[in-house]
Amino acid sequence: MRRAFLVIGALVVLLILGVLIGISLGTVKLSAHELASAILMRGDPVAHTLVWDLRMPRVVAALLVGSCLGVAGCLLQSSTRNPLGDPQLFGLGGGAAVMQALAMGGLLVIGNWTLFTLSVLASLVGAAAIAFFASRRGLSPARLALIGVSISVLAAAAATGILAESRVFGQQSLNFIGGSFANLAWRNVLPILPFLGIGLLLAFLAAGNLNVLVLGDPVATNLGAEPKRTRAIAIASSGVLGGAAVAVAGLVGFVGLLVPHLARSLVGHDMRAIFIVSIPLGAAVTLYADQAARLIFMPSEVPVGLVTALLGAPLMIYVARRVL
Amino acid sequence: MLRLDSLSFASRGQKILSDVTTVIPDSALTCLIGANGAGKTTLLRVLLGELRAGSGTFYIDNTRASALSPKRIATYLAIIPQGIQPPPDFTVSELVTLGWSPPNRAFWWRLSAQERGSVQECITRCDVSQFSERRVEELSGGEQRRAWLAFALAQRKRYLLLDETLDGLDVLAKQSFFKLLKEVASEGKGILLTTHDLDLVTHFADKVVVLSGGRVNYEGPPIPNLQDLLLPASA
Repeated sequence: MRRAFLVIGALVVLLILGVLIGISLGTVKLSAHELASAILMRGDPVAHTLVWDLRMPRVVAALLVGSCLGVAGCLLQSSTRNPLGDPQLFGLGGGAAVMQALAMGGLLVIGNWTLFTLSVLASLVGAAAIAFFASRRGLSPARLALIGVSISVLAAAAATGILAESRVFGQQSLNFIGGSFANLAWRNVLPILPFLGIGLLLAFLAAGNLNVLVLGDPVATNLGAEPKRTRAIAIASSGVLGGAAVAVAGLVGFVGLLVPHLARSLVGHDMRAIFIVSIPLGAAVTLYADQAARLIFMPSEVPVGLVTALLGAPLMIYVARRVL
Repeated sequence: MLRLDSLSFASRGQKILSDVTTVIPDSALTCLIGANGAGKTTLLRVLLGELRAGSGTFYIDNTRASALSPKRIATYLAIIPQGIQPPPDFTVSELVTLGWSPPNRAFWWRLSAQERGSVQECITRCDVSQFSERRVEELSGGEQRRAWLAFALAQRKRYLLLDETLDGLDVLAKQSFFKLLKEVASEGKGILLTTHDLDLVTHFADKVVVLSGGRVNYEGPPIPNLQDLLLPASA
């Protein structure tokens, strides 16, 4: 665990740097002095607005969504003993995606907080399906992943159908399907906080037993670890976190897959260390991916999901070839 | 001691265990032998509470096990299941530490210095201290089995249930493992090992229980020609 805290320290430095990049660079560049003044709410009011109302919500959204996806992936991979565990690949975000599409299409006219709640509840339906299949004996990791992908594709198709039927075209649809943090205001970001809190609370309840689950249910039970309960809590937590992430940023793929593998390479295989490192690592991966999506093709930008897919898809192919 | 009293179990109308009555003594190596499908693994699963006996029960000392929850039963019995695979990347030391860990531990739980010493004792007892920082999956079959035995010992339970733990080992590795089991048993553990190695059973076991068609065909000290007892009595 000592190594985990060293890695977390390094990640905090990276995150601070990433936040500074996120709020200072863009089509309008701010000098160090202008940035400091804007952060302290002094000087040019346009710079305040640029930093606090336009760029900061985006940066904070990337941090929070990244943490949600990183932790959700970690919990799914460990609790289902499946190296392909990812909230999007397993279809957990599917229900949330349908809810978001209904809201974007004007078919569901509700406030932000209610929409978040509905998205999380819908995501829990997907989580329940994965929990059901994961509890069946003899279901291989590959088959579980295929079931998850099927649920995910079905939900994405339904969401796309709703958007098309409601004539929501262009940038808004692309941002949602590809995943994006563009044009987010605080009111779109802040409702994620209570769900992140609930998800992390559940995750901490399960995390102490995640290591024992790698031994398989009979041995874990024999050690007194209640694997079914641990798995149910872990998958419920993933559902809450995955649903909340979709409600903010749409379908950002592969972060949940990528982060636990990266964390394992940094801190070894103690699931408690992987879990705790996944929180800042998910935030860092998503924040830097979003900065790349935003800055590389400036003044236009690409969905952040494209960047995360460029990183995550080769990893998925590698894992599928080596581990499954 | 573990006392099995008329344990029966059926699945989909087919009897797998019929009136199994025997005793698994403390401080002894008991070998459970039988042909494939004789009910050996099913018997272990019934003892662990994974499967519920249709009739009969068993006693741990004088406590009726059916009055205990599977979780409570598990505080007496450690299991090494058939064909268990080592968790990826775990070292021997980490595996044995998992065996020591209390159930449902808090996130921040860690071993005290004294507990680390006890884990090391289990590792040393099973002759794997020279591999303690190597990954379990990198070890030979015999070394892996010793690591699993250390894992079982670290659980500090009175009875060890080993389901075909010797499968796939060469004769020398099997002999060496049997010797180790015998020593561990003599130090106070009741060991129940399911196996097909009749020669080694004859040589090392303190007690033999022969299951045939789900029934106990023989129980007692090892005797020559055990293979003759593997067929059902009526055959």
